[in-house]
This record gives sequence, C-alpha cells and structure tokens, in this order.
Amino acid sequence: MEKKKGIKSLLTWEMLLVVLLIVLWAVFSLKDQSNIAAGQYKKAAFGLKQLIPGLQPYMLYGFMTLGMMMVLAMGDIDISVGATGALSASVLFVLYGKFTAGGMDAKLALALSIIAGLVTGTLCGTLNGVLITKFKELFAMIITLSTMLFFRGMCYLLLGGNTLVYKGDDVFNSIKVLSNNVKIAGIKFPVILFWFLGFAIVFYIILHHTTGGRKLFAVGTNAVTSRYSGIKVDRIKIIVFAVTGLMSAVTAIFYVASASSGSIRADAMEGYEMYAIAAAVLGGFSTDGGKGNVIGVIISMIIFGLLKKGLGTVFSLVDSTVNLSVGVVLILSVLLPNIVNDISKARKLKAQHDAIEKEHAQA
Amino acid sequence: MPGNLLEMHHITKIFPGVKALDDVHFTLREGEIHAIAGENGAGKSTFIKVLAGVHQPEGGEIILDGEKVVMSDPIVAQKYGIAAIHQHAASYPDLSVAENIFIGHEFMTGPFINWKKANAEAKKLLESVGANINPKASVGSLSVAQQQLVEIAKALSQNARILIMDEPTAALSKQESEDLYNIARRLRDKGCAIILISHRFEDIFNLADRVTVFRDAKYVGTWDMEKDHVDSAMLVHNMVGHDIAAYYPERHPNIGEEVLRVEHLSRTGFFRDVSLSLRAGEIVGLTGLVGAGRTELAETVFGIAQASEGEVYMFGKKCTNSTPEQMMKMGLSLLPEDRHKQGLLLPWSICNNITLPVLEDMKKGAFLSTAKEKEVGDKYHKELRVRAPSSETLADTLSGGNQQKVVIAKQLAASSKIIILDEPTKGVDVGSKAQIYEIMAELASQGIAVLMISSEMPEVMNMSDRIYVMSEGHMTAEFDAKGLTQNQILAAAMPQERGN
Repeated sequence: MEKKKGIKSLLTWEMLLVVLLIVLWAVFSLKDQSNIAAGQYKKAAFGLKQLIPGLQPYMLYGFMTLGMMMVLAMGDIDISVGATGALSASVLFVLYGKFTAGGMDAKLALALSIIAGLVTGTLCGTLNGVLITKFKELFAMIITLSTMLFFRGMCYLLLGGNTLVYKGDDVFNSIKVLSNNVKIAGIKFPVILFWFLGFAIVFYIILHHTTGGRKLFAVGTNAVTSRYSGIKVDRIKIIVFAVTGLMSAVTAIFYVASASSGSIRADAMEGYEMYAIAAAVLGGFSTDGGKGNVIGVIISMIIFGLLKKGLGTVFSLVDSTVNLSVGVVLILSVLLPNIVNDISKARKLKAQHDAIEKEHAQA
Repeated sequence: MPGNLLEMHHITKIFPGVKALDDVHFTLREGEIHAIAGENGAGKSTFIKVLAGVHQPEGGEIILDGEKVVMSDPIVAQKYGIAAIHQHAASYPDLSVAENIFIGHEFMTGPFINWKKANAEAKKLLESVGANINPKASVGSLSVAQQQLVEIAKALSQNARILIMDEPTAALSKQESEDLYNIARRLRDKGCAIILISHRFEDIFNLADRVTVFRDAKYVGTWDMEKDHVDSAMLVHNMVGHDIAAYYPERHPNIGEEVLRVEHLSRTGFFRDVSLSLRAGEIVGLTGLVGAGRTELAETVFGIAQASEGEVYMFGKKCTNSTPEQMMKMGLSLLPEDRHKQGLLLPWSICNNITLPVLEDMKKGAFLSTAKEKEVGDKYHKELRVRAPSSETLADTLSGGNQQKVVIAKQLAASSKIIILDEPTKGVDVGSKAQIYEIMAELASQGIAVLMISSEMPEVMNMSDRIYVMSEGHMTAEFDAKGLTQNQILAAAMPQERGN
C-alpha cells in the first residue's frame, strides 16, 4: 500500500515534465555530437553554457505566467496581460520624460516612474477583476479581450506611433542592470533568472501553503460550493486579477531593461499573453481550473527555452518552425492529461462493475 | 388483453460510486398509462434515461414489439418511437414553437426549410392536443403548461408510440394539471402508451392503469391500480420498504430558546411574506411541492440571495441580507440541495472538503497546517462513520450517502448552532439514510437547531418536532408534529387559486 502510494506520487505531471526535459536534452545533445562528428562545426553548440543565457527571453514572460497560472487555477483566463504590460511600460516611459523635463532629480524620477508603472499594472488587473465579478454572465475571455483592446488603445494615446527612447541618459539606462548576466562556474546566468525563481518561490508558498492559495484552488474547482462554504469568491477573484496585473507590470520593467529594447512602442509585448497561457498550460494549469503546481510552471519555462535553443542551434530551424514545434508540444500537453483521465475513469468504473458482479455471484 | 409493447429485464446501470439501477424490470402494454413510483434516488430518472438512450445500461435487455433492441443513443430511441417530456419543458426557449416541434426533421423544399408548411402542421398538431398556441411565438414566452403541450406536439410529430412524462405536473396549477390529465387520457385512448413518473400520488391515482415501484435502485413490484386496490398507504409502504418505526431514531427533544426568526421575508418572484422561527434543540420540517420556494427561502436566509423585503434575526440580532461568510461566522450553515454542484469539491479529498469552511482555523503561523487539517478530517471521518479507507479518499469515489455525510461534516466543523438541511437524504441509500437521521437526532440533542427541508413525507413526519408547509411561495401552514396526518400536510401543500 505504502509502496503504491510512492509510485503514484512519482507519476505527477511535474515528473512527466522532468522526463520530457531529460528526453529533449538527450536528443539535442546527441544531435549536437553527431553534428560535430559530421564536421558541421567544431565546438559543441548545445549545453548548459548555451542554454542558461538563452533562457533570458523566456524569463521575461515568466513573470506574466505566474499571474496567468493563478487566473487559470481559478477557472478564468486573462488575455489582457500583454497589453497591461505595454501600458505599464508606456506610463513608466512617459512619466520619466515628464518628471525629468520638470527638473526632477533623474534617479528619483526613475524610481517614481517605476512605481507608477507597477501601480498602473495593478490597476489594470483590478479593473479586470471588478468587471468579471460584476458581470458574471460574460466570460473572462470576452471581458479581458475588451480590456486588452482598451489598454492597447491607451498605449497609442500616450505614445502615438512613435518609439520613445532615452539614448545617452545614463540614469534611465541604469535600469539595464536587470538584464545583465553574472558568471558562475564559467556559465553566464542572466540576473532575470534569479528574479523569476525568487518570484516563483513566493508564488509556490502562497499557492500551496497558505489558506489563500487553498481558497483559490477551491474557487477554481467549484465556485458555487466555495460560496456555500463561506468563501468570499468575488474578493479572491479581484485580488488574483490585480496580482496578475502587477506581474504584467513586473514583466514590463524587465522588458524595458532588456538589452535589445531600452525603447518603447505602443505595440510592445504583443502576443505575450499567448506565451504566458502556453507556459502555464504546459506547466499543468488546465483551463478548467482547480489544478496545477508552480513547480510545473518553472519546468515548463525551462522546456520552452530548451526547445527554442535546441531546435534553433542544433537543428538550425528558423523561428517559425520553432513556434510550430512549441504548438505541437502544447497540444500534446493538453491532450495527455485528458487521455490519462479517461483511462483512469474507465478503470474505476470497471472495478465497481467487478465488485457488483462479485456481489451477485455471492448472492 | 393487449400484448406487451415494451419489456425491460434485468436492467443494471452503474455510475461512479453508486449503483443507480440494480436488476430492474418493467413492462408496458399498448394503450396504457403506467406509473413509476419511488423515492428520490430510487432510480426512476436513470431508468427513463436508459430507455431514452441517454445512458447505456451495464446489463439487461430491452424488448420492443417482441424484438431485442439496443438504445445506443437518443436518436435511435426516437426512431423506435420513444419520446420524453420533461418537467422543465423548453428545449430551445429562443426558438419558435414550430421550430421546436420540427427540430431535426424539418419540412424541406430543396435545400430550404418550408416554414409555411411547418407552421401549418405545428398548428394542426397543437390543436390535436387541444392547445391554441401561435406556432410563431417563441417557446420561452409561453407558460410552463403551454411549453409542455409544445413538447407533447413534438412527440406526436415524431409518431411517438411511447410517451414518457417526467414529473409533468410539478410546476402546474390544479387547473392546468386537470387539463394535462385529459390530454394524457386522450393520447392513451388513441393507442399511445404513456410512462408517468410523478411524486404526486394525485397524478398516479388519476391517470395510471398500473404502477411499478422502485426502491433503492431495485425493482419492488408492479400492480394493477384497480384489481390490486392500490392505495396511498400501500404505495408508501412499498416505496419506503422498511418498517418506518425502526427506521427513525427515538428522540427526547429538549427544546430551548428561539435562535432564528424570519419575519415577513420576501424575494420577488420566489416567495412572499414568509415567517418562521427555530428554537435550540428543535428539528423543524419545512415541506411542500417542488417549486414551492423552500430552497429559495433557505438560500435567502443564508445570504446566497438577497431578500426584497422582511427581516432575519439570529440570536435576537438582525442579520438580513448578510453574506454567507457572515452567517457562518454567526453560527448558521446550509447544507445545499445539490451536493455535487453546491456541497462538495468532488476531486478533493474528504479531509480537504471538511476543512474548507474553517481554513482560517487550520493555520500554523502564516501557513496552512496539513497536520491540523488531518486531525479535523480524521475526527469527522470517524465520528460520522464515512465509509472510505481514509480521510484522504477523494469525494467523487464515495457513494451518495457517504458524500452527504461529508457535507454534513463541513457544517459540523464550522461549529454551527443552526443548520439548514436542504433535502438531506436525496439520492441516499437506505443504510446511510438511517445514519443521517441518527446524526440529526444527535445534533438536536446537543442543542443545535435543525431546519430540514424535505419533500419526503415519511421523514418529515417522523423526524420533525414542528412542521411548516409552503405552497407557491407562501407559508400555508404550521403544525405540531404530534398526531398529524399526511393528508393535512398534503392539503396545505397543494396549489390553490389565490386571490392575489
């Protein structure tokens, strides 16, 4: 009995993801070796040395994914996260310009505009939450689609069609420390990786070890039962959407800091919501709600980075093909739990059937 | 004597955690009205769904016109001439009457639907059941009685030979019920066989030629209403089965102070001017027909829905329109009617279900303590004798009765002083039923006030100290349970034509 339970706990979604990670790693490493043997290139192109710095862009929407996974666990969805991030970044940029033009100390201006960006994201999320709890007859999908368009429109109002950039502004560009790398044991670790892991740990503790997290999963499993059990369903929803907005704003700050950017346009971070949903779903947070583990999301972020790096460098596939494979992985990740579920249901039913037959035979 | 049109033998149907039908038999003759009677959870609706092809039985055979058939899905059943009319009739409330009647077998002219013909045919069909309804009206705009006539017309349009009526009068007034009886009789005389499912004995005694009784998913027997002199005492005896006296625990009520008072409470569209009171240590029954407004009243008192008028007092303190969490904090909890949709988190363990209302007490510092949870879970798992290997067992693997015990455990864990139980024994097997009665008696003896909403006469009469009766959203009677007869309750529960 004890042993059986041990095996069962190994068969979690997170374990499957680890297996997938190892398999992908093995495939890419072997291909890398055979490429070298075939004389395509001399030095190994795939390894921790290449992978870890390559995680940088994935960590960027990792913050959003942490918000998205809570929304999914609640049985809702938020497709406005990309636009929320863009609006937060726009506010940050525009305010910094206004503050410094007004003669404010540049450092203070930067700090204040970062805070303003975070507040903007949180307000956007709160608006989503309030609308969703007020208009229960509308799907979260439709409401956040509307707010996505609204937030994106606000970005255009703030920035027009221009690209805003503070070239040569050392104070503003000091934000780029967030996109630095640190060398540990000869491997370049992006700073953002540690930030992401830090946030992920906090979310892990909240979701899996506090009453708030338990209530969140309860609402996602069955909001009606939760209400009959005295849980403030609406309040939890609003808080979750607000935190999701905050995480979008955190993404925005790292986006501004990322080396390639340092500039902002009204169409920034377009499509980020799709990556966030994809990573959360692969991580084990189904759109039905009530399910998922933060550890799965962390592994799924790494799998995405690995796939992109491996397919890009070792198999020399172009970006569009890489996206295609990511799509395939995602479909499989959604299908697999359903298949497993069906099988276990059929087995359960058969066991009951057998028990009843046995009863009959005895009688 | 006409032959058997339909025979069903040894039908067995299993759902996860519960055997819904266990070796059940049924025969239907041409041109008869055959009632199926049984308590909630006896398997009536599952049986009908097997016949209508909605559920596939795990065992048994269906013989139609002497030939074995398989009702693999509802369309096949329809082709064999089987049609069902449900309690809440409207299939497509936004479509027109004619569209509803001919959906799936429209009159076509080339690739287009011939609406002219459809409307004309719909009118003809409706007139044949004595209804004067505009075929172009949307079904949602009709009364429930009219919607049922549309459903009957739809069945006739499909040349139904077997008509299933599932609680057809549950939402009808007395006059509307009479009209429906006449239509049913007329259909029978035309050769249509009707299967009638009803809680109302009135329906059965008015219409049925024969009656079959199910109890706890099993077949009890079939009787000819006239030849076998079926009366309500005999029906109740067969439906309940057990010796009623031994079934209910002995009680020595020790009634204390008033703990809950509802004054002139109204909720627009559901109930009007309802008053009641509840005292510590008392079990009060609240009964009435389906749709009388009992569940809505409970939801309003608990704070799930808002009252439009009137007041609620708990321990003398006004608490009208409080939220459920406030009510629970003050000591009132509600066991909802639908334990799957409202009572339980099915994929969760027994333990996690029980601690849900008291999560804040399960903390150790800032974090949730699994050890504390397990302590509470194990305590109630043992105390309420939930049949499961451990408190880690998932709720959806339990039988209906044991699931209900888990929902009761939730109310107990919340240390409620007032418990409202909405149909506590619905869909629960006999063994668990007796245990639930025992638990209720035990709670009352501890000084907890219990308000039991129930449609089952025997349990209302045997468990309650006092009984309230609701009908069509009004409180129609309050009785002392001593010396009360079933007829007195039924008289108060029946809809009457009211002045306002």
